[in-house]
Amino acid sequence: MRLDDLLRISVRQVYRHRRRYWGVILAIALGVAGFTTIITIGRDVKKNFNQDIELIGSANLIRLYWDHRPGQSPAWFRPETVSALRRTPQVAAVSEYTLRPAVVAAGGMRLEITVWAVDHHFWHLRQYQPAMGRLLGADSISDRRKEVVLGAALAAKLFGDRNPTGQTVDLDADLYQVVGVVRLDDYSVSNSLFIPLSTARDRLKGEVRPDRLLVRCATWDDVEGVAAAIPRVVAASQSASGLNVWVVWEALRRVQRVAWWIEFFFYLASSVTLLLGGVGIWNVMSAAVQSRTREIGLKKAMGAEDRDILAQFLTEALVLSVGAALLGLAAGRLVVALASSWLGQRPQEEVFIGCLGLSLAVAFAMGLGAGLYPSLKASRMEVVAATRYE
Amino acid sequence: MNSPRRNPDGSLIQARQLTMTYANGAGEIEVLKGVSLSLYPGEMLAIMGPSGSGKSTLLYILGLLLRPTGGSYWLAGQDVLALDRAGQALCRRERLGFVFQTCDLLENSTVYENLEFPLIYAGVAPRERRERILAALEQVNLGHRLRHAANRLSGGERQRVAVARALVNRPLVILADEPTGQLDHRQGHLVMDHFEAVAAGGTAVIVVTHDPDIAARCHRVCPLKDGRLVAASPQAQGWAADG
Repeated sequence: MRLDDLLRISVRQVYRHRRRYWGVILAIALGVAGFTTIITIGRDVKKNFNQDIELIGSANLIRLYWDHRPGQSPAWFRPETVSALRRTPQVAAVSEYTLRPAVVAAGGMRLEITVWAVDHHFWHLRQYQPAMGRLLGADSISDRRKEVVLGAALAAKLFGDRNPTGQTVDLDADLYQVVGVVRLDDYSVSNSLFIPLSTARDRLKGEVRPDRLLVRCATWDDVEGVAAAIPRVVAASQSASGLNVWVVWEALRRVQRVAWWIEFFFYLASSVTLLLGGVGIWNVMSAAVQSRTREIGLKKAMGAEDRDILAQFLTEALVLSVGAALLGLAAGRLVVALASSWLGQRPQEEVFIGCLGLSLAVAFAMGLGAGLYPSLKASRMEVVAATRYE
Repeated sequence: MNSPRRNPDGSLIQARQLTMTYANGAGEIEVLKGVSLSLYPGEMLAIMGPSGSGKSTLLYILGLLLRPTGGSYWLAGQDVLALDRAGQALCRRERLGFVFQTCDLLENSTVYENLEFPLIYAGVAPRERRERILAALEQVNLGHRLRHAANRLSGGERQRVAVARALVNRPLVILADEPTGQLDHRQGHLVMDHFEAVAAGGTAVIVVTHDPDIAARCHRVCPLKDGRLVAASPQAQGWAADG
């Protein structure tokens, strides 16, 4: 039997009996669509969740700081170290900052506080949002502006119920304009003042250098690898002696566990759906062989060999599984496109193409495996018994 | 198949001492008890007999659908009982055509598709198929039904399509099991008209029937009783009688 005849007849048979096969087609298509979606955009979804630190805590943040060594000058992070860390794979962002004690005065109040000298990445990494006004942007840093952001508790102490934005504060005997207020749950941080790192370098007393870094990894799965790589990256530009790499391991493990279970259940659901599809193929092909017994007898009387019958039923099972997988891939592609657009990411085409190949291979194996027994049964039917079957 | 198209005696079919025994719970049932017959090109042979006499079994053995428990069977110069399943399938598609009582057509297929299957199994090239299908349908005056769904045809038309399907591979022998059993008198004789035309072209036809009128249109009638051919009654000159 020619291959083109075999394919044409099998596609025709599946199409003509499509109502019988809908359930199976749907199960396989859903399974394939699920796998394709989770594999193709799973990482993008994780990235998106990771950006929402409020949701998952600080699980993907790594804090770097130095041991205080009496008698030695304080260590700090060199610009080339920060650049190298930013170039490290799986690192999404790096913020440099330092803390200094200072005296602030305004509205007749004079308070001893902590000043945070920060870069413009700081807010994003800590997920701080302005309660009033704005935060310190890239311009504030590059132009070395004399601007400050107040923690909400400090703003209340200095200005009471008045709006502090646009007001000035005296910091170490220098005047700065308040551009915003940030609301923070941590009281000690809320009682602080934030100033551009560049401005602090120029204007605050003593040497102001970034001795702390915040590193945000692309996903929580990357934290372990990045944390292990950091000492090596730092050591390439400067001494890493006294460097502390601090990760909230407990929070990370908890997030990873939750994510693992979600992923596991998603894969499980897709696998069960695919398995049901496989069982479904076995079931409908067995039923088809039973209901088409006379047809099998008739075809054998026409001269079909056992292998022709075997090939026909097996090809029908393959058309069913591979056809359903193609439907699933189309549905998966649609979901990936919609989800990527919603997440603001470009779908990873190479991953999708990998999924396409894998899905078709799985569907082929499933059709072959599930269709083999019914097809063998059909091919071994005795002609007379089959033609007399009622 | 590269073999002669005739047996040494000029016959197409030469069966000797065919026996068939079925085993059931109560023991063994001997359905055929040494049947011998020959069939010649262009001959029409009717096998008659009461129900259970073994006529369908004999037809299935001659059609290589059933393997006898004893005897020998030569078809077109070949010992076909020595062939394996694949060899017998090849023999069926190249030399034999079947027509069943129940007008068995593939229900979800068109007339064209029904006739295409034997050609597909015989490896006929696609460009040649349409021509041969049309020719076979023209032989039974159904050329206009080419694209009709099989399940929309009348009983008579269905049986004529079944005849056309049996003819499409240009067989040496057509085996028909009660081909007129479900047709009215007129339609039944119409089918026999087609068989006569086919036989006139050199194809041999074996018809299993209950109907003496149908049998009377054959060249020879072989009555079968209790698994034996009781007599052969040549109704036309020139055909050999068997026992």
